Amino acid sequence: MSKRTHSHGIALGSMLATVMLLASCGGGDKNSPGVEYMPDMYRGPAVEAYVDYGQDPYTRSEELAVSQRERPSARQPVAGTIPFSSDPAKAGFNMPYPYPNTVEGYEAAGVSLKDPIAMTEANVEKGKVIFMKFCQACHGERGLGDGPVVNNGNYPAPPAYDGAQLKDLPEGKIFHSITYGKNIAMGAHASQLNKEERWLVTRYVQFLQNGGKMERGPVAAVAPAGN
Amino acid sequence: MPLLARITERSPGLVHAILALFLLFGTTALQAQPADAALYASGEKIFKGNCGACHKPDVKLVGPALKGIKAKWEGKGDIYAWVKNSQVYLKTGNPMATAIWEEYKPTPMTPIALSNEEIDAALYYVDNYAPAVTAKKEVVVEPVAANDNNWLWLVIVALLFLVVGLSLAGVKRDLRNSVLEAEGKAPVPDLPRMQRISNWVGDHKVIVGLGSLFLTVWLMMLAWDAAWVIGVYGGDEVPHYKPEQPILFNHTLHAGKVDQGNLAINCQYCHSGAEKSKHAGIPSANVCMNCHKAVDTGRNTGKTEIAKIYAATGWDPGKMAFTGKEQPIRWIKVHNLPDLAFFSHAQHIAVGKMECQECHGPIDVQMDVAEQWSPLTMGWCIQCHAQKEVKMAGNGYYDEVMARLNGDENLGHAELKKYLEDGKITVKELGGWECSKCHY
Ligand code: HEC
Ligand code: HEC
Ligand code: HEC
Ligand code: HEC
Ligand code: HEC
Ligand code: HEC
Ligand code: HEC
Repeated sequence: MSKRTHSHGIALGSMLATVMLLASCGGGDKNSPGVEYMPDMYRGPAVEAYVDYGQDPYTRSEELAVSQRERPSARQPVAGTIPFSSDPAKAGFNMPYPYPNTVEGYEAAGVSLKDPIAMTEANVEKGKVIFMKFCQACHGERGLGDGPVVNNGNYPAPPAYDGAQLKDLPEGKIFHSITYGKNIAMGAHASQLNKEERWLVTRYVQFLQNGGKMERGPVAAVAPAGN
Repeated sequence: MPLLARITERSPGLVHAILALFLLFGTTALQAQPADAALYASGEKIFKGNCGACHKPDVKLVGPALKGIKAKWEGKGDIYAWVKNSQVYLKTGNPMATAIWEEYKPTPMTPIALSNEEIDAALYYVDNYAPAVTAKKEVVVEPVAANDNNWLWLVIVALLFLVVGLSLAGVKRDLRNSVLEAEGKAPVPDLPRMQRISNWVGDHKVIVGLGSLFLTVWLMMLAWDAAWVIGVYGGDEVPHYKPEQPILFNHTLHAGKVDQGNLAINCQYCHSGAEKSKHAGIPSANVCMNCHKAVDTGRNTGKTEIAKIYAATGWDPGKMAFTGKEQPIRWIKVHNLPDLAFFSHAQHIAVGKMECQECHGPIDVQMDVAEQWSPLTMGWCIQCHAQKEVKMAGNGYYDEVMARLNGDENLGHAELKKYLEDGKITVKELGGWECSKCHY
């Protein structure tokens, strides 16, 4: 009799312990990613972006963890690498940008750099989609310099695109400023937008320079080679 | 009792109101009122529209701080000519203009077509500028989430009942013994406790049997529920994984709604990979610097957190230049799908045309610190794929599939038509439940 109660107690006790153990894996500490249960195939040997292998609790040794941490998975391409494009019409976009980030480069771009993308309604529309994601926060929906970052964040206001300062800014300078930024308050957007996207958004900026009209008429497309 | 003390005692609210009133007037009095409010307002507009990108009244930005600049130029140079076209004015060889240019070159000041009156208005604004007194919002300190351990309390309460029950049983036995003693009968023998319990158990088999069955089932249910959420750090049932980040980056402030005073930056401004790649991507510090070169103070944390971005990028805010000493920011990864499953943002954002909030929750409304909103389990993926309709129309990705579904019988498979019967095409119907789409 008493033997049975004892084994009963052991069974109950071990069940209680299991519940507690399981519950402790379920989190609670907001800083802890918890314990991985049976982590087979959770972490591949191939390097995955953003995984801090130094943090992986299943790395084989502490030295390995440290050495892996010193080799982040996000790498820069080899200097001088040119991206490959399977679309020959767009291959030109992958050529290096020849104008340096100097006042002279800016002036030279203004004179000789031309948008290889035609000024058409469709392209302006595509440019608008990019503009609303990447520029509207500061420049405002209509390019008046009244975006929420300016209004709510006390950010230095950019001049209006259709105002005296920027109305006649040539497309080469627009592109140059998007690529490298301008002075302190206009940042470089080359890391977020590729060349094609920068040219599309340039067309939308020109559309706003005209006060939201296609006015200047379709501009003939120029071959992108060499840009 | 003095009157004031009595009032304080009776109605503390009144005193607070009076104090608040004093404070209110106090702050308005602090804020210098310009003599000519209309000129100030028009000057503010001109300044912000034409000069604000490069100058601030009180601190250096691209160009120098401009407070008191008119007095500085008085009698030493023609400030109007300078503002209208500084590069042309430099050719006059004015020594002060040359000195400023030497300090700031090669950044020239853009030629600005303004009248003398407009320049005067702008400079009037600058000279009378007083920074707006903004209420400093308290840093919301997240209360440490109470550990969801209700069942532990149940166990403790049950144990308490057990102890009380045992001692009551002891009292009852003593009473019985004294009754037996009074009746002149032999008392109940004082057996060891374990023996007594097992005797009791022997006498009450049904109760004990049912009780332990109930307890066993209950514990098994707990274990079953707990097993479902092992390794799950989001969703409704468990506290969300919400690690402290090296910089107190605030999604609500940066990406939140305009009408709540937030900056409403599009998610893709920072997570620009979302449409192009498997990963939405964590922005590199240069993306932060697109704005933070010009913003060194935040409304909640002041300069401390933004200074960490400067340390990471090697930016010297005094000199407004990079020093070249960089130090990566080690953000803690929040979402972490195991390698055995493939997930692509581009598929869901560019093709599926989904909103980030469908999976990441109200990150722009209520998350000062990013957290894992969804459970990220296979069940979660599958469930959505079973219900979610794919936006096929005008989706270049599915032109061919649509042509086949809608085309004549010869072109497509007649069998495919059955997918169109309910008028919608779910992800599952396109293969969103094929193991190999996610595991390979
Ligand atoms: C962080 C806020 C911010 C964002 C985001 C931003 N801009 Fe600007 N932009 C400015 C400011 C401020 C200026 C004025 C800079 C100056 O003249 O010093 C400016 C200036 C410009 C100019 C005029 C440059 C020149 O040569 O005078 C163009 C063109 C421009 N921005 C286009 C864009 C486009 C296109 C985007 C989106 C890809 C964008 N900006 C995103 C703040 C921003
Ligand atoms: C594109 C950026 C830019 C804009 C826009 C701009 N400035 Fe400047 N400003 C500068 C820079 C840079 C200097 C320093 C001198 C130089 O490099 O030309 C300067 C210098 C000055 C000076 C001389 C400061 C001194 O210490 O003596 C005055 C005055 C001035 N700016 C007024 C204005 C006014 C007024 C406006 C608006 C109507 C304006 N600026 C717009 C960039 C700008
Ligand atoms: C100003 C830049 C910025 C904007 C805008 C922004 N984020 Fe973030 N986001 C970050 C940074 C930096 C991190 C990494 C630090 C952290 O986790 O808080 C991050 C982290 C995240 C994470 C967690 C990533 C992980 O480690 O698993 C999610 C999810 C996320 N952001 C979603 C969004 C969504 C959705 C939006 C739009 C509503 C948005 N973000 C807007 C900068 C930004
Ligand atoms: C498009 C512009 C923009 C970008 C990009 C941006 N910020 Fe900000 N950030 C701001 C502005 C404006 C403020 C000040 C808002 C205020 O307090 O009114 C700010 C404030 C802050 C603060 C202080 C918040 C507080 O409440 O005190 C921190 C920290 C911060 N940003 C971090 C970052 C980090 C990290 C990144 C890069 C992932 C980033 N920001 C990118 C515009 C930006
Ligand atoms: C269908 C659901 C879903 C949608 C929609 C979604 N995400 Fe994610 N997101 C995930 C999952 C799942 C992960 C974890 C991926 C991993 O660990 O490999 C993730 C991870 C992230 C991360 C961490 C870093 C990375 O890229 O792996 C960021 C940042 C992020 N998402 C931002 C966004 C933004 C911004 C959007 C909107 C443009 C968005 N997500 C839309 C499911 C989604
Ligand atoms: C909230 C809804 C939702 C969730 C959650 C979700 N998905 Fe999806 N998923 C979609 C939609 C909508 C599509 C259809 C996009 C398209 O048209 O290709 C899709 C498509 C896919 C595809 C491509 C299917 C095909 O036919 O080629 C894969 C792979 C995929 N999802 C993986 C995942 C994984 C892995 C998860 C969980 C980590 C997940 N999804 C979670 C909505 C969701
Ligand atoms: C929509 C994408 C998707 C599809 C389709 C899918 N899975 Fe999964 N599966 C996942 C994700 C995501 C996980 C990881 C869940 C987690 O970490 O909790 C997973 C996990 C698993 C695991 C557990 C692995 C482990 O050790 O944790 C198994 C087994 C599995 N899947 C089998 C299958 C089988 C069999 C099929 C086909 C019937 C299938 N999956 C279809 C997304 C998918």
